[in-house]
Amino acid sequence: MSSEINFSSADDVTLVRAAQAGDLMAFEELVARHRDKIFARAFSMMRNEEEAIDLSQEAWVKAWQRLAQFHGESSFATWLTRITINLCLDQLRKQKRLRAESIEAMDDESGGVERQMPVVTVNPTERLERGELRQRIDAALGKLSEEHRTVMVMHEFEEMEYKEIAKAMGCSIGTVMSRLFYARRKMASFLADLKQAN
Amino acid sequence: MSTEQQLKLQAFLDGELPDGEAREVAALIARDAEAARLHAELKNTRLALKGSEPGMVLPESREFFWSKIQREIERTAPVVKPEPQVSIFSMLRRLLVPMVSVAALVIIGVIAAKQFSSTADAATVGTVTELADAGAVTYHNYETGTTLVWLSYPSNDPAQPKTTTQ
Repeated sequence: MSSEINFSSADDVTLVRAAQAGDLMAFEELVARHRDKIFARAFSMMRNEEEAIDLSQEAWVKAWQRLAQFHGESSFATWLTRITINLCLDQLRKQKRLRAESIEAMDDESGGVERQMPVVTVNPTERLERGELRQRIDAALGKLSEEHRTVMVMHEFEEMEYKEIAKAMGCSIGTVMSRLFYARRKMASFLADLKQAN
Repeated sequence: MSTEQQLKLQAFLDGELPDGEAREVAALIARDAEAARLHAELKNTRLALKGSEPGMVLPESREFFWSKIQREIERTAPVVKPEPQVSIFSMLRRLLVPMVSVAALVIIGVIAAKQFSSTADAATVGTVTELADAGAVTYHNYETGTTLVWLSYPSNDPAQPKTTTQ
């Protein structure tokens, strides 16, 4: 099969089919194509380069082992990103840095500070160049707690619905809504602060 | 604004509210300045994040990263080598060897049984056996259960046998 496919020009679907038939070279091409995206997702969740490298590697190995379960309901990249997110969440749970919390518990945790935060009336990212905007967002993401950041990443970057996030995190939809709300409010505040600092 | 209203406002922004509740929240935004400001802030944050995910490049070469993955794949799930194709000859040989063995055993058994029955027939009358001792001969009659033994000694005259009955 390897000799019949031009890997560099083949689309993901063709490469996945070849990999499902046991072609490791086709799988290597998929790794080469998507490795940066998968690493970026792992990093956005973990905020640690070494952990992100290890977890993205683990995600690729898992993907190979579970290739038979991929039937093309989503794109290969989306499917692989979900595997990566789940591995990151497992890792965070292992580190006991994630806690299942109710809305009330979250309110207690934040002490209602975010609820009392003044609304940011000016768009802090207005007229920013894309590169600078990304830098500020990256810095702001780094300031968020893990609970808030993971929800933010899953909702804003992966475009996952509330119920999907709740399922992945093993918590209620209410908890997801609460975490996302406070994550957004803090993000707005951090971005405003960064604008003032500049 | 209550916490519930704030969360509903966000769900409205994310398109996660049913139609009825979405209309209620839209009306709240229209009449309440605080709700409108919060809605604007959440929307701005959402727009800022959309398509602005920080780009990251894996800090390892393609070859090195792949070599680690490949090693792990091979370690956890070694590639199963396909079995060599079996020729018709070897398949026949596999079948024929036991069949021939069984047939040989059956033939040996039949021959042995025949031999035993012919021996038995002959033995119904009697058997004369010459012993290792050249001077002694035995005769066994199966019908009467009698065994006669001729001994050449101490007399050297074979015409006068010594007989014993068992």
